[in-house]
Amino acid sequence: MANAYLFSIMATVAIFTLLALSLNIITGYAGQAMMGIAAFFGIGAYTAAILTTNGTPFLLALLAAMVVTGVFGALLGVISLRLQEDFLAITTIGINFVMAAVFNTLKITGGTLGLTTKKPEIFGVRMNNFHFFILTVIIVVIVCLLINKMRKSWFGMALASIENDPAAARSFGINVSKYQILAFIIGTALSGLAGGIYSHRMGFISATDFAFTVSIQVVSMCVIGGLGTIRGPIFGAILITSLPEILRFADNYRALVYSLLLVIMVRFMPGGLLGDDSPIWKLIVKGYRKFVPRKKTRADLIAEEAVSAGAAPGTQSVKQEGGLA
Amino acid sequence: MEELMKIEGLKMYFGGLKAIDGFDLTVNKGETLGIIGPNGAGKTTLFNAICGVYKPTGGKVTLEGKDITGTPAYKMAKMGFARTFQISKPLRGLTIFDNVLAAAGVHEYTGIGSYFHKSHTDDIEDKVEEIILETGLAEVANKKASDVSLGYLRRLEIARALVTDPKLILLDEPCAGLSNFAINEITELILHLKEQKRSIVLIEHNLPLTMKVCDRITVLSYGKKICEGTPEYVKNDKQVIEAYLGEEDND
Repeated sequence: MANAYLFSIMATVAIFTLLALSLNIITGYAGQAMMGIAAFFGIGAYTAAILTTNGTPFLLALLAAMVVTGVFGALLGVISLRLQEDFLAITTIGINFVMAAVFNTLKITGGTLGLTTKKPEIFGVRMNNFHFFILTVIIVVIVCLLINKMRKSWFGMALASIENDPAAARSFGINVSKYQILAFIIGTALSGLAGGIYSHRMGFISATDFAFTVSIQVVSMCVIGGLGTIRGPIFGAILITSLPEILRFADNYRALVYSLLLVIMVRFMPGGLLGDDSPIWKLIVKGYRKFVPRKKTRADLIAEEAVSAGAAPGTQSVKQEGGLA
Repeated sequence: MEELMKIEGLKMYFGGLKAIDGFDLTVNKGETLGIIGPNGAGKTTLFNAICGVYKPTGGKVTLEGKDITGTPAYKMAKMGFARTFQISKPLRGLTIFDNVLAAAGVHEYTGIGSYFHKSHTDDIEDKVEEIILETGLAEVANKKASDVSLGYLRRLEIARALVTDPKLILLDEPCAGLSNFAINEITELILHLKEQKRSIVLIEHNLPLTMKVCDRITVLSYGKKICEGTPEYVKNDKQVIEAYLGEEDND
């Protein structure tokens, strides 16, 4: 039985890892403030639940959940073009509250009573927590590989440019609106997939599962782990999801604990515990480099050659600039 | 001389404010054209109206005879307009090398299809390296843009413009905020681009620099052209002197 409990937690961790990775695409890579990911998590969850109740095979229902959520994500993407930063954050918070109310009201989503789902079958086996865990981990691994490929592509370069400076991005040919909408579609579709798995793993869903606090929880995962990295959201999801199990005694104050953590992180370590600039991560990299030397990039080679050719680092012009002060 | 870009009767109004009010300009291939004017004359607004940041209220912009008025900024970049910013806009989280590389992908940003094309290929890296050496950014190539001084960021702006193989380079105050030494370096760089027979439009407050590098100069004041000609001609124009120094007291 101990194993069943463990797998139940691990399945939850895996699902929230997927959800955190989905938010990371929108907020981490494309730089769009998104505080309402739970709304899209919910759209996916209800879509898949309604479909399987009507006899659609589980995997097909997951696919449909992705598509439906992605369509809603595209709508939000279009809205996001007119809003920036704080305004987008507030709008997405609003969307989260509206969607939670909609889930609570509509007949098709079961209203206040919520929806009960049947445990689905894959290849003739009725899925238990262990199966959900394995399925989600496989999806997470695939998603990580796809994100890794994205970061090495022009698509990833476009998102990085937009995240850093949209006006600069436009000046070298990036259609910022298009990429922003694409990021919203991809991110929300993934959150819909996570939702579809979630509703079937839980067996029962209601509007409170997709409340604003859940969005904050997912934002915390990304921020505490490190936005804009793959390892960050994964680490954050594991930490934040297992935290309530460890901090059971503080159950009533969960929101308070998250908020405090979030404030402390943003104030003292905005890059996250495992972000590129975090001292912890730098230490890990340093230890790792003792065994595996870093492969030099073209940029390193150019810089080394220039430095050895004469100009010491922190060259003439820098010194001259300093002379101004 | 062959005509590259032509602006006819360009108007850019913000509510009741006429920032640009009927502006004409012709830029020929291979020439360096300076645009000067007192603070608030509308120089940067003019760039923004040309480059698609703003949609002009009226008038026409043509590139090699083709009407391109009001085309969005990203499309202008693909058409061969490369602009730099008065306030540097580096991608702070990326290295200088990757900053230049991001701009080198100007024709690669096609949407979802760009997912399937690797960014750091040998061809692109060769091209980026060439531009980095040309613009004197080699020693900071592997530094993050947030960690280098303003002088380098200015050169980065120019490097990003060059790497897109532009037909026309629009430089918006490349020397703003620099020390004399750094200004000389940028001047050298602009003279080097001039030798390559590139077509350049330069906005600059630094008059000695403008006089030195430009073939022709246009003077803008309150959204209108008040003078145009060779540096020598402009320097001695009565209206220009008035715009800069104020009217002479006749009493």
